[in-house]
Amino acid sequence: MDQYQNQIRNFCIIAHIDHGKSTLADRLLETTGVVAHREMKEQFLDNMDIERERGITIKLQTTRLNYQAKDGKEYIFNLIDTPGHVDFTYEVSRSLAACEGAVLVVDATQGVEAQTVANVYLALDENLEIFPVINKIDLASADPDAAKAEIEEVLGIDASEAPLISAKEGTNIEEVLEGVIRHIPAPGGDPEGKLKALIFDSYYDNYRGVVIYTRVFDGEIKEGDLIKLMSTNKKYEVTEVGVFAPGPTPVKRLRAGEVGYICAGIKQVADARVGDTITLDNDPADAPLPGYKKMQSMVYCGIYPAEGEKYESVREALEKLQLNDAAFMFEPETSTALGFGFRCGFLGLLHMEIIVERLEREFDLSIITTSPSVTYKVVTKDGRELMIQNPSNLPPQNEIDHIEEPLVKADIMIPKEYVGSIMEICQERRGVMTHMEYITENRVALHYEMPLNEVIYDFFDALKSKTKGYGSLDYEMLRYEKSNLVKMDILLNKELVDAFSMIVHESKAYSRGRYVCEKLKELIPMHQFEIPIQAAIGQKVIARETVKAYRKDVIAKCYGGDISRKKKLLEKQKEGKRRMRQFGRVEVPQEAFTAVLKYDENKK
Amino acid sequence: MKSLGLYIHIPFCLKKCNYCDFLSLGGMSEEDHAAYTEALLVELEHYADRNISLDSVYIGGGTPSLLDPGLISRVVQRVQSCFTISEEAEITIEANPGLLDKNKLTTYRGAGINRLSIGAQSLNNEILKLLGRVHDREEFVRNFHLARECGFENISVDLIFAIPGQTHDIWMDSLEKTIDLGPEHISFYSLQIEEETPFYDLWKKGELKPVDDQGDRAMYHSAIDRLQSSGYRHYEISNAAKPGYESRHNLKYWSMDEYLGVGLGAHSYIDGRRFSNETDLSRYIRIAKEKNCAGRRQGASPWTIWFHENTVEGEMSEFMFTGLRKVEGIRLSDYEKRFALPVTAVYGDPINKHIETGLLEIDEKADRLRLTAKGIDLFNRVLVDFV
Repeated sequence: MDQYQNQIRNFCIIAHIDHGKSTLADRLLETTGVVAHREMKEQFLDNMDIERERGITIKLQTTRLNYQAKDGKEYIFNLIDTPGHVDFTYEVSRSLAACEGAVLVVDATQGVEAQTVANVYLALDENLEIFPVINKIDLASADPDAAKAEIEEVLGIDASEAPLISAKEGTNIEEVLEGVIRHIPAPGGDPEGKLKALIFDSYYDNYRGVVIYTRVFDGEIKEGDLIKLMSTNKKYEVTEVGVFAPGPTPVKRLRAGEVGYICAGIKQVADARVGDTITLDNDPADAPLPGYKKMQSMVYCGIYPAEGEKYESVREALEKLQLNDAAFMFEPETSTALGFGFRCGFLGLLHMEIIVERLEREFDLSIITTSPSVTYKVVTKDGRELMIQNPSNLPPQNEIDHIEEPLVKADIMIPKEYVGSIMEICQERRGVMTHMEYITENRVALHYEMPLNEVIYDFFDALKSKTKGYGSLDYEMLRYEKSNLVKMDILLNKELVDAFSMIVHESKAYSRGRYVCEKLKELIPMHQFEIPIQAAIGQKVIARETVKAYRKDVIAKCYGGDISRKKKLLEKQKEGKRRMRQFGRVEVPQEAFTAVLKYDENKK
Repeated sequence: MKSLGLYIHIPFCLKKCNYCDFLSLGGMSEEDHAAYTEALLVELEHYADRNISLDSVYIGGGTPSLLDPGLISRVVQRVQSCFTISEEAEITIEANPGLLDKNKLTTYRGAGINRLSIGAQSLNNEILKLLGRVHDREEFVRNFHLARECGFENISVDLIFAIPGQTHDIWMDSLEKTIDLGPEHISFYSLQIEEETPFYDLWKKGELKPVDDQGDRAMYHSAIDRLQSSGYRHYEISNAAKPGYESRHNLKYWSMDEYLGVGLGAHSYIDGRRFSNETDLSRYIRIAKEKNCAGRRQGASPWTIWFHENTVEGEMSEFMFTGLRKVEGIRLSDYEKRFALPVTAVYGDPINKHIETGLLEIDEKADRLRLTAKGIDLFNRVLVDFV
């Protein structure tokens, strides 16, 4: 091992939501002087609004810290933050692969929780050293001994030396920094070897093009190098090499064991895929680093400009988002109800929600999303195979021989007391259990084969709700399987609204139809006339609700002092109308399109 | 000479009613009343201009009849000394049954007040109790006759319908009994449960079950039929009058005519500007004592706390949503005179849309754009397209 490598530590922080990952990261930055206290917004690393609000990290942020240790030496810490949701498991695994160790943050008042377990297992898969710390010791209900015992019992990790800290108050932060040096190994790798560098994230910068986050395993990379991405064999010339301190800061080179960024005139992030290996074109490595997977869209939905919104603005925004998100795909499509729009592909439902929220917030767009769908394989009677993502594109029933749907392998981890209720919701969703195992005395892993369309519908919400948030889920594509699927349509005032059409299993059609009708009844405001809402398979109506006609909407009094106030009321009412979409004579609030898909425990 | 309506606010009540969200204070002392009246006189003085002609004066509340009648006299005298009151002026005072007596009524008449608006609300004693009113039916009837004896030839009665627990029959009975008394003007309001009232709290707790829209409209439509067959003209959403007795003052609000409001929280509309007064009683009085104008916006008074200069679009939409409250609607030529554009040029789309929905009708010959009977019930649905 080279001398410089001894003074490097590459690590991430693993924690359950709310256990204080971001606060600890902030504190480490502050203690090492990377970010002055007064400049700190809370939770520096989570720099997207949506992340901050949901308390989850989606986009990775990497920072380099310089730490003057008690042994008198100066260390370089590369703190690699990880996202924390099932949709992003692959991204998590790649950023873990860039580290030698992980700081495991456990809340002294809560102990070990589901998400922690899932991420610790991912980290162990990558052979990372786990360094536990106990957070929130400032709280009255803190029980550090119990938290330590749980870490040892549930995760099998020695917690005897875990520092007791309060990230919020800044207590014992130095012990964490010293512990990182002691517990987490320095990186290895041969700086003289052939270049092998892992892409663990990337983002698009208006001036530099794609900025690649990389961990160098062997060799070195510098400005002017001609590099090759091993999965695509595409070649680029490196224009900049740097580290995050925390803003991008150019350096001469990155050597084996180091973490930083490179720019090479790459036009979109899809060309620099997470997990890919960078090597030198004229002296390439023999084999890429293990673990590369091409990310595939699992969930699709339509995104349409809402009333008064421009198609072009939506397209431009989608293009910009795609520059930065290799897992997000879109192509134009049309709907009779919604006009011109886009069919978009996502890693999962959360990924979809994030994109939608970003379109609304960052780009200030007003959009409508249609029911999420998976890709169905339709085999026609004349033997053609069609891949269908939009229910409206399904051929007529009489031309279809059969439909196949994607099955996934779903791994569910839950405390044992929830086994019964989770088996029930899995069964309701046509899941077939392959096996079940006890991970610890209290924790159970259930392994299922389940149709993906059931998983994306509301499974994750149901799982979280039934297990009080302790359940975790991971899934991966298994195979296509023949299934008894039908297309269910929704008719408003006797007119079919194609944006609501969905493909469902025949056994679920009645309950789903009833649910959608009920939900729409709640959401569609009263009109001057009665509105029948119907769910139908072909010509057969399977569920029906009615929105009554309104009879009265009038301000009784309007005298001198009321005029301005009443006008405001009308303006507010108008604002509400603006968010409506007109179908024939029926106005539908935009949120209806996603609301019909949400898990609602009271409706089950 | 500029012609204005004048509104004077008296923000006191014996006690606040359970449904009321107006600016009024219960349980204040006579000293408070007097101090407030003094401040009111100062504010009137602030606007003094003999070149302003008042063709309507409206003393509203609160409960103006709660005050010592001498205070009311002083207020009216001050109005007379500050402005020119036109000969035909309508001068109204609001009164609550139970708080009227011969002395008050003759004092009002003596001061020149020629119209009385009585807040009867219901002629059913149980309903009155539920509303939290301080009077009963018998007191109202006695007061009404007394007012006639004292020379009031123009009396308006306020009624409320769609009160929880009030059946269609109870409502119609109150209306009948009121019509039998023969007031010149009747206002009939559908009860609105407003926030920050005891009714609102009860409703939130599920202890007050509002009359449903169907019941509400049945009461409303029956009332209009009954009033019309008794010689009343339905002229505004919630108002009916014998011909010639439409409230001249209130019609100003619905015709975008100018008015000045004085007193606590009062609103004014002059020269395309809307502004309103301080709503805190002690501050209102203090300003009168100091008359400190520092920091106040230009064009308004030292009491002004809110000021808004309407845009042309704002003027247009207010013209529509106040004007269409009148049953006969707006005069097409009035709109054109005021804005130098035909109304169809500005509001062509919403007008056509609602003619199609059957909520609006245009009558070029009669020079009118008005709501249909159904349109009145769905007033907000129509007017939302005009703001």
